[in-house]
Amino acid sequence: MTAQHLNNYTEEYKNTANTLPGQSLGWLKTIRAEAFEYFSDKGFPSLREEEWRYTNVSAIEKKLFSAQLNLDESELDKQWLNRFRLEDALTVVVVNGRFSKEHSNLEGLPDTISVLSMTDALDQQPELVEKYLTKAVSNSEHSFVAFNSAWFSDGLFVHVPAKQVLDKPIQILHVVTQADFLATTRNVLVVDAMAEVSIIETFVGGDDAYLSAVVTEVFVGENATLTLYKMQSEGDKAYHFGGTYVKQQRDSRFTHHNFAFGGLLARNDIHTDLDVASECDLNGLYLGVKRQHIDNHTRINHEKPHAISRELYKGVLNQRARGVFQGRVIVAEDAQKTDSEMNNRNLLLSNDAEVDTKPQLEIYADDVKCAHGVTVGQLDEKSIFYLQSRCVDEETARNMLTFAFANEMVDKVKLKNLRDLLLLQLLNRFPQAGIDKEWL
Amino acid sequence: MSSSTEEITNLISQEYKQGFVTELEVETFPPGLDEEVITKLSKIKNEPDFMLEYRLKAFRHWQTMKEPDWAQLNIDPIDYQAISYYSAPKKDSDKPQSLDEIDPELLETYKKLGIPLDEQERLAGVAVDAVFDSVSVATTFKGKLNEAGVIFCPISEALQEYPELVKQYLGTVVPETDNFFASLNAAVFTDGSFVYIPKGVRCPMELSTYFRINAANTGQFERTLIIADENSHVSYLEGCTAPMRDENQLHAAVVELIVMENAEIKYSTVQNWYPGDENGIGGIYNFVTKRAECRGDNSKVSWTQVETGSAITWKYPSCVLLGDNSVGEFYSVALTNNYQQADTGTKMIHIGKNTSSTIISKGISAGKAQNTYRGLVKVGKNAVNARNYTQCDSLLVGDKCGAHTFPYIEVKQPTAQVEHEATTSKISEDQLFFCQQRGLSAEDAVSMIVNGFCKEVFKELPMEFAVEAQALLGISLEGSVG
Repeated sequence: MTAQHLNNYTEEYKNTANTLPGQSLGWLKTIRAEAFEYFSDKGFPSLREEEWRYTNVSAIEKKLFSAQLNLDESELDKQWLNRFRLEDALTVVVVNGRFSKEHSNLEGLPDTISVLSMTDALDQQPELVEKYLTKAVSNSEHSFVAFNSAWFSDGLFVHVPAKQVLDKPIQILHVVTQADFLATTRNVLVVDAMAEVSIIETFVGGDDAYLSAVVTEVFVGENATLTLYKMQSEGDKAYHFGGTYVKQQRDSRFTHHNFAFGGLLARNDIHTDLDVASECDLNGLYLGVKRQHIDNHTRINHEKPHAISRELYKGVLNQRARGVFQGRVIVAEDAQKTDSEMNNRNLLLSNDAEVDTKPQLEIYADDVKCAHGVTVGQLDEKSIFYLQSRCVDEETARNMLTFAFANEMVDKVKLKNLRDLLLLQLLNRFPQAGIDKEWL
Repeated sequence: MSSSTEEITNLISQEYKQGFVTELEVETFPPGLDEEVITKLSKIKNEPDFMLEYRLKAFRHWQTMKEPDWAQLNIDPIDYQAISYYSAPKKDSDKPQSLDEIDPELLETYKKLGIPLDEQERLAGVAVDAVFDSVSVATTFKGKLNEAGVIFCPISEALQEYPELVKQYLGTVVPETDNFFASLNAAVFTDGSFVYIPKGVRCPMELSTYFRINAANTGQFERTLIIADENSHVSYLEGCTAPMRDENQLHAAVVELIVMENAEIKYSTVQNWYPGDENGIGGIYNFVTKRAECRGDNSKVSWTQVETGSAITWKYPSCVLLGDNSVGEFYSVALTNNYQQADTGTKMIHIGKNTSSTIISKGISAGKAQNTYRGLVKVGKNAVNARNYTQCDSLLVGDKCGAHTFPYIEVKQPTAQVEHEATTSKISEDQLFFCQQRGLSAEDAVSMIVNGFCKEVFKELPMEFAVEAQALLGISLEGSVG
């Protein structure tokens, strides 16, 4: 990164720093200062770094995104926003990096459970936030995390105390409407022992270029269950960085469903650390069209024995899109009886599409069962022939099979409303000929 | 399991059988590397001018380079000025004309290694070029090869007799700027094998080279260049050993294969450099660049390797599939024990149409060893209908070792079909119990299971070597079962 570009960001930061929440908290100021120093020193990641070798973020460097707010949020089109709102969920809306009370809806939330904007949480429960912030991921993970720690302007804080089960899912709706805006939010999700909750992260935005840089820290307590969904449907010109860092305690269950649809350049990191006999299940679907670049990065860290991990990522790349999958499973020396499976399947639909995939196993224990598989290919000619022999024309047959390939991931979603929303997003990016929405 | 654990521990601790030192009078350069050394080396070898230029160019480039550090390896820093870059048995003033003239002690060395040169002619028809430290000692079976028109000689000799041929091909697959160790090799290589198979010739016998590092503080930098012209076929074998010493020695070789239309090269390696003792002291650093270019249509390259030796192995035999319908294959067994480290794998670069490649890699890790598979499958934009199948399995023996898999897959062609599969597991107690219940000792059971695990690769080796490889595996694994 050139010094000039970096300076743009650091200068910009000096103007915004004192408007960020938590000014009165010494510990937070220290975190921010350290993070800022790390970022000023390192700049954005470069292609020379192994973890970034397929994703060039120089466009973000060169384009100065600014966190200066100059739009009135009342301009937000409510009807448009409602399309992404899940009916039966508790909704927290973050517009241009700031919590919007007006659009949010937390009716029916039990008193025992905290669902707050990060600003409010820092105000009302600073001790609790301090206990968790930067504990799932350190600033030195990479520059985007440091960047987020320094810059974050708001976010979601969820705390589900022990043995509480929340029937309704919580949705965080992240909206960016301002052009060239820099939306940096930090979410902290804490699920205590034996509690259970579903949380949905939704990212949408306008048609102009903007950058959303989100870090979500997740803490799943003993024997607790968390299902986390992420639907990334950013605008066509948007840049998206999303990092989800999970700490799982013993016997906990963490399921993640990651749908990457939008953005010009999208990068998604999911890291999870597994304690004894915990389980994680990572699912992902990335769908690239036009000139999209979608990078998925997962790391499953088996630190203790008897943990189970499952991972399935599917990609469909069309036109000039490029998909990246880098999955890493690390089994520590004493993590015996680990059971791990990782799969990545890719469908290339055009001559100019590209996929780069790198599934890695790093194993330091011996009594383990670990496997990974990757395929890159096209639709099965026999299946197409079969459908043709049943009087389906070739184009329709191809669309049906492609749809079926992707739909497997949507089908895994248990929330009906979310599934419908995902299907709509999926179909909008597909050649639809022959697929009747009514059937689905 | 405790009693069998003991047996296994005994098994593992078997010694390196090739660890003897041969007392020979040798001529060795003092340690150190600069342009003067290279010039002197080139002069001793009486090389044509273009070689000296090539070497100096490589050396100048090498000075600007840094050692690669991306591999999953722990390498103690290497002092390149402490290595001697030339060592040769002294009596080479009058080069041996036949086997009779060879230093009997040297012949004895090879006998200990199990390659009795003087018996080769009567054996199954394997022509051997033996490289001892830096110079090629003898090439057997020359007459019969000459008849077929096959050139098989030390590369130093080829530079004297066929300079045009060498000049035309040397460095065209692995350029002198390729990587740190390849550049070093280009600057200082002293010998190696040169093979040229003319158009339409099927090499009448298997060709073979044996490498041995004998002198202390020397590095071995050999260079192998094999050209298979149109419609030809050759099968080539290499084997390596070194004496036991408590310091690390460097081996940085470069192998270039060139395959023209309809030709085929089968290249097999049994690498058994000294791996260091059970505390990880000593052993060879094996940093090798091997690459094959399938230049013509319908050409085929097959790499088979059995890697049991070396303290550190850094090696990625690659295939550049340029010609349409060309085929690349890679079969590998890499075994690491004690403190050995291996980072090995392959690169398959699909450029031509209808190209296909197969990768079968078996890693076995025991003791405190780290074994890494690192492979790249790259399908270019024009590689219509490219096909790759990769399978890499790892077997863990003992709870202190590591097995890692780092495949890189880059596809730019929608009609390509790429599959990758990997599994890691240990020898299951059920399997062991089953064998023992049928009357096998724990040791035999492990050996049987490991051999079964590697069978897919061993069946690619020529017969005699398959037997040797199995035996090697047994030795290297002895005592490691638990």
